[in-house]
Amino acid sequence: MTTAVSRKTSHSMALVALFAALMAVMGLIPKIDLPLGVPITLQSLGVMLAGCLLGARRGFQAMLLFLAAVAAGLPLLAGGRGGLGVFMAPSAGYLVGYALAAGVTGALMRLLPQGTPLRTAASAFAASVLGGLVFLHAMGIAGLVLLAQMPLDKALLADLVFVPGDLVKCVLCAVVVHTVARALPDWPFGGRER
Amino acid sequence: MGSLYSEHLTWLHRWPAGRKLACMALLGTLLFLLSAPWALALAALACALLWRSLGPATRVARRLMVSVLAAALLVAVFHLWMGRPDVAAVSALRLACASTLGVALTVSTRPTDLLLVLDALLAPLARLGLQPGRVSLQLALMLRFTEHFFVQWKRLDEAHRLRTGRPGGLRLIAPLTVQMLQRAQRVADALYARLGE
Repeated sequence: MTTAVSRKTSHSMALVALFAALMAVMGLIPKIDLPLGVPITLQSLGVMLAGCLLGARRGFQAMLLFLAAVAAGLPLLAGGRGGLGVFMAPSAGYLVGYALAAGVTGALMRLLPQGTPLRTAASAFAASVLGGLVFLHAMGIAGLVLLAQMPLDKALLADLVFVPGDLVKCVLCAVVVHTVARALPDWPFGGRER
Repeated sequence: MGSLYSEHLTWLHRWPAGRKLACMALLGTLLFLLSAPWALALAALACALLWRSLGPATRVARRLMVSVLAAALLVAVFHLWMGRPDVAAVSALRLACASTLGVALTVSTRPTDLLLVLDALLAPLARLGLQPGRVSLQLALMLRFTEHFFVQWKRLDEAHRLRTGRPGGLRLIAPLTVQMLQRAQRVADALYARLGE
């Protein structure tokens, strides 16, 4: 740490670390195991929130930071998993997807309308459904097909089990965004310039 | 919050973290290139021997390994049920091998040593504007925030109990989010005060 940081950089650093920590907290909440080695966790909610509240760039960085900590061996994934081994497990597609999905969610959030708190929440719901659900699940399915050699239709079927739970998380994400929009009216959702 | 690192020193502990990481990357890639069941069976045998050779150091990761093996078994059963015994053997063996390698690295290497390797690997990126020192600082910040989340939650929960006599539950999510975002702003200000231009 020799170089000076600008106000914007120090801001980004704190928020990126905060959302990486949020992912870790959600991983410490007990998980529910499903067959095929893919657990239900709260962590995809963290992905949606990072995208909506931080925007594409910083959301992506927050997820990368979290994944780096996991790869370094900290047991931060749901159920206390960690280490490089998890990146070769059947659910590795979802892990890599976290970073990209946060980016996609953030980019969508930036584009969607944010006039009133209610409209912002509706936009957050739409962005989480597309980025945190559809995109993340597509990555997960790709992982199941490539790593566990599962045929595509079966991987789709296995993945569908998670969709209802993740829809609930999209609603939760919208509720949190609504609260933040009311409490901090000038919060730059989706990384918008103020 | 502990890591999976084991204090039981083994021969693998004496290897430098960088070498272990390089071997892991190489062997991991090799595993995905192999597709003959007999070759993977040999690899699995080698992995089992590796696991054996680490002795008591693997104890911390035993539960993790059992769950990985159970997952591998489920994948195998699934493929058998689909009538593809060859795919069943290949995918289950590959999963088991890759996970053993990952766990062997994790139990024998301190997270800080891995971070140092990461720092060294990221060093060339400094010229592109990404600073390895900053990555380490952010990791430290992240761990501190994780702890703070729990402290803050407990404080909000206690306040709620005092007012209503009931635990706060999910109602606390909204105030917690807002408080943590504001806390991050203050941390950002502090960082700027220490490191700012």
